[in-house]
Amino acid sequence: MSLAAEAFVSQIAAVEPWPENATLYQPLKDDQILLSDHASSLAVQAYLRMCTLPVQVACRANAEYMSPSGKVPFIHVGNQVVSELGPIVQFTKAKGHSLSDGLNEVQKAEMKAYMELVNSMLLTAELYILWCDENTAKQITVPRYSTPYPWPLNHILAYQKQWEVKRKMKAIGWAGKTIDQVYEDVSQCCQALSQRLGTQPYFFNKQPTELDALVFGHLFTILTTELTSDALAERVKNYSNLLSFCQRIEKNYFGDNDSSSIVGRISPFS
Amino acid sequence: MLKFCPKKCFRVTIDAKNNMAAAMELYCWKGDWDLPSVDPDCLTVLAYARFSGAPLKVHKITNPWKSPTGSLPALKTKDDGCISQPHKMIIHFRKQKYNADYDLSAKEGADTLAFICLMEEKFLPALIYTLWVDSKNYVDVTRRWYAENIPFPLNFFLPNRMHSSFLDRLRLIKGDNGLEPGEEAEKELYKDALECMTLLSQRLGNQTFFFGQSPSSLDAHVFGLLAPLLKMKLPSNKLQQHLKSLDNLCHFCTNILTLYFPPEGADGPSRKASSPHGGDNSEFDNEPHKRRNQILSVFVALGAMLSYAFLTGIVSVHRVDSHHAVQKTEAVRIGEDEINGED
Amino acid sequence: MGTVHARSLDPLPMTGPDFGVHGDDVEFVEVQPESKQEVLENKDVIVQRVHIDGLGRTKEDFLGYEIAELFTAKNLIDVMKKAHEAREKLLRLGIFRQVEVVIDTCQEEDALPNGLDVTFEVKEMRRLTGSYNTMVGNNEGSMVLGLKLPNLFGRAEKLTFQFSYGTKETSYGLSFFKPQPGYFERNFAINLYKVTGQFPWSSLRETDRGISTEINFPIWKTNHTLKWEGVWRELGCLARTASFAIREESGHSLKSSISHAMVIDTRNSTILPRQGFLLKVNQELAGYTGGDASFLKEDIEIQLNRRLFWDSVFSASLWGGLLIPIGEKPSCIADRFYLGGPTSVRGFSMYSIGPQSEGDYLGGEAYWAGGVHLYTPLPFRPGRGGFGDLFRTHFFLNAGNLCNLNYGEGPHAHLQKLAECIRWSYGAGIVLRLGNIARLELNYCIPMGVQSGDRICDGVQFGAGIRFL
Repeated sequence: MSLAAEAFVSQIAAVEPWPENATLYQPLKDDQILLSDHASSLAVQAYLRMCTLPVQVACRANAEYMSPSGKVPFIHVGNQVVSELGPIVQFTKAKGHSLSDGLNEVQKAEMKAYMELVNSMLLTAELYILWCDENTAKQITVPRYSTPYPWPLNHILAYQKQWEVKRKMKAIGWAGKTIDQVYEDVSQCCQALSQRLGTQPYFFNKQPTELDALVFGHLFTILTTELTSDALAERVKNYSNLLSFCQRIEKNYFGDNDSSSIVGRISPFS
Repeated sequence: MLKFCPKKCFRVTIDAKNNMAAAMELYCWKGDWDLPSVDPDCLTVLAYARFSGAPLKVHKITNPWKSPTGSLPALKTKDDGCISQPHKMIIHFRKQKYNADYDLSAKEGADTLAFICLMEEKFLPALIYTLWVDSKNYVDVTRRWYAENIPFPLNFFLPNRMHSSFLDRLRLIKGDNGLEPGEEAEKELYKDALECMTLLSQRLGNQTFFFGQSPSSLDAHVFGLLAPLLKMKLPSNKLQQHLKSLDNLCHFCTNILTLYFPPEGADGPSRKASSPHGGDNSEFDNEPHKRRNQILSVFVALGAMLSYAFLTGIVSVHRVDSHHAVQKTEAVRIGEDEINGED
Repeated sequence: MGTVHARSLDPLPMTGPDFGVHGDDVEFVEVQPESKQEVLENKDVIVQRVHIDGLGRTKEDFLGYEIAELFTAKNLIDVMKKAHEAREKLLRLGIFRQVEVVIDTCQEEDALPNGLDVTFEVKEMRRLTGSYNTMVGNNEGSMVLGLKLPNLFGRAEKLTFQFSYGTKETSYGLSFFKPQPGYFERNFAINLYKVTGQFPWSSLRETDRGISTEINFPIWKTNHTLKWEGVWRELGCLARTASFAIREESGHSLKSSISHAMVIDTRNSTILPRQGFLLKVNQELAGYTGGDASFLKEDIEIQLNRRLFWDSVFSASLWGGLLIPIGEKPSCIADRFYLGGPTSVRGFSMYSIGPQSEGDYLGGEAYWAGGVHLYTPLPFRPGRGGFGDLFRTHFFLNAGNLCNLNYGEGPHAHLQKLAECIRWSYGAGIVLRLGNIARLELNYCIPMGVQSGDRICDGVQFGAGIRFL
């Protein structure tokens, strides 16, 4: 989002209260959505629930193209469209809902840093495993990504996306990594998160913040998604405080719905 | 518990270890503007090596093709081959038991990882933009420095290649294929970077280093990214101004420079001489022989023309007495007419 | 005996691609007067031989069909007429730069006393030609670079490559055309193309990449085209402020459709016709040959022209279209019809009539539009006989309607819906004809029947295009 647009959005956002029909858009849940998108979407849903803002989830095959930034999920509130967790947090802040107001400066700095850690390590690792690991790409990612499209468009779009992701990996220096190194990075990231969490219920003690939503989104999705191997989930399971953290948030914020709404086990054989 | 390791201790250790093993060799970019190196990655590795006391033979070169991996920085090790990524180099140092993070608690270690990610996601794109994409800075400072320092003939195309690869990298990182140098891109990138610097400043507070009294790998990373921005003379310097307004970060960088990189005196005397002057003389200072070159080139041109004229016989000089002078003059005039007629 | 040279052309209505010679003007065949001409006219002649000089890569058997008629000529005038027709046929193949006819008596040993030799002196086109044009489409201009390989394999096959860089659109295309030997009107073509368009009235950006094959053939007086087309369509928002309805249409889709078009065109010119009529009926069925767009689309265009007193022309036209989605998926914005603008209902902004959402026009599934025009020469006829003839004044009355239909309701309800809330406009203006390619208009329009949501352009409106209501 450009600065001018953001300022404009903030101004408009501040004026109107949160409407009842706010909707979150993500790709089709059963057939199409991938691990990384599901994680991002779950993070946003968790955040909005923590702020007690009602939102309906709508699934569209072209959600990725509808989004103004090309990334899912995005929310449609009033006549504003905002995508990705960072801008959504700022958007809700402009409307007067914020989870990180009680933090001091140093804590805010740490929160932002850890959010970047999750984005640059966990999310990138997820993208790597989905698109750059040949096994996973062929068996899971490409078939899922191309479900809504007829032949030959399905092949074209899937390979176009794969090429884009590979280019990005090269630019940030991940192209030379092996899958084991990526798992190592995931372990390191989880270790850092686990150490930061310690024995507290949430990262900043009593109250959850957007960092908790983001970590929950990614870890819960990793734990509940079937891939070609369990290696990724196993790395996360090594840290028991992270497991209990996920269960705590699930119980507190998603417990009222039936389990099928979020625990959608993304099976590769759908 | 924090251990305080005075500077002298390190110095002695380095000397002692140097005598023992050939250890590792680091190829990195030459320094300038009071910096040991102009490249952020090289600075990070150099700083970490000094912090952890790793014995390092440093080759400061200006030709990336001379390095063992073809790019800079490059670490040549005895057993593990050549490493080109700073992260991997630091891991290698740790494996060799040169660990500046030895004293950090688990939480501090986690914070290190987080803040390094923060810098790379939010600050590094803006730094790349300001050094390599912003038109004024690129032409006046970056490209000029690299073109002057890279040896012939690479200096004709390498800076441009680096420019395109940095622009591509920026586009891919930001996910925006249409990114062009311009106000909008600049605003977005700088906003994130300014916020990042402010956050770092808040995290640093009044401390000397991020985790107490002795520096760690996070300090090395932060130093590597901030020091070029602090020290380089950039015409388009919005990012620089914000950094300079954050006093604790400035002290942090200068502190590391004075403690761990005492000035060697050989880095760019011409720069030092010109720094007190304003921008007006800078062009002249960059080419101290400009006037001489101009006059020389005029003389060379004149000389060339005259020698051509003599050699082809258009103009010839004869010794004549005044009696024949008139006839000669007429002959010359006729000759001139012929020449003009030919034209 | 003198020789007869046939020169220039009297053009027929344009039926095939790329004639190479245009013009509404008519030149007559010149005959050098011969003292014995009268005798020759009544004399029976036989065409013994027809030569074609100057062939390079063109295959001779292919040309046989074009000149076959010549052998049936009975007298000299017949020979001249048929030679003229054969010359036209050869030129419309698009493989010769120049064709000259020489009729002479037969000089061979087996020459009959009334035998004639007809020689066509032809100059083949070069193997590769390039061109650079500027083009005016419907309210946009573009620079077009073209590469043409005429007569690729010797039988008038043509390969064309075109690259067009425009104010709103960039596109490229490759096409291959092959006529049936002997029946030039029957031909088939294959096209590959990529077209990008921007539509600010809908805040929509569209990129189409497609392949199409078509067969053209005449039946009696009509021209038919059967076409299969496969297009990969990519839609996106043009601006961040696009409405959510447009945002929902973003994404990729694949359309694979079969279409049939029938055209009867007896007009003397496509741009400012003075007489004749046009009937064009087009139907398209998508979805049964693959892809995910599924609909049946009908499109009709009628135009009548009639000369009136004092060099003025009366013209009436009617357009209509219907889109019926098949299956449950709603229609895609790229398939719907649009109405309004200087090339359709004048007085309204470009394509700014009908259903809209937050200022973005979504198009409609059914529409009709009609117009009556009176074209007259400029008052006081300045520049008569030259430049002034390119201008005409015109008075017009346009009307139309566009809406979405609920197909469960039945045709009576549909007609009623199309008949209520008719938008119409009237006015006058000046028309400039640009060769035979395009037309510029400057009109003063008064829109009426404006519904809420329509965007009007009352007062002076400028339009440039090829196809006008």
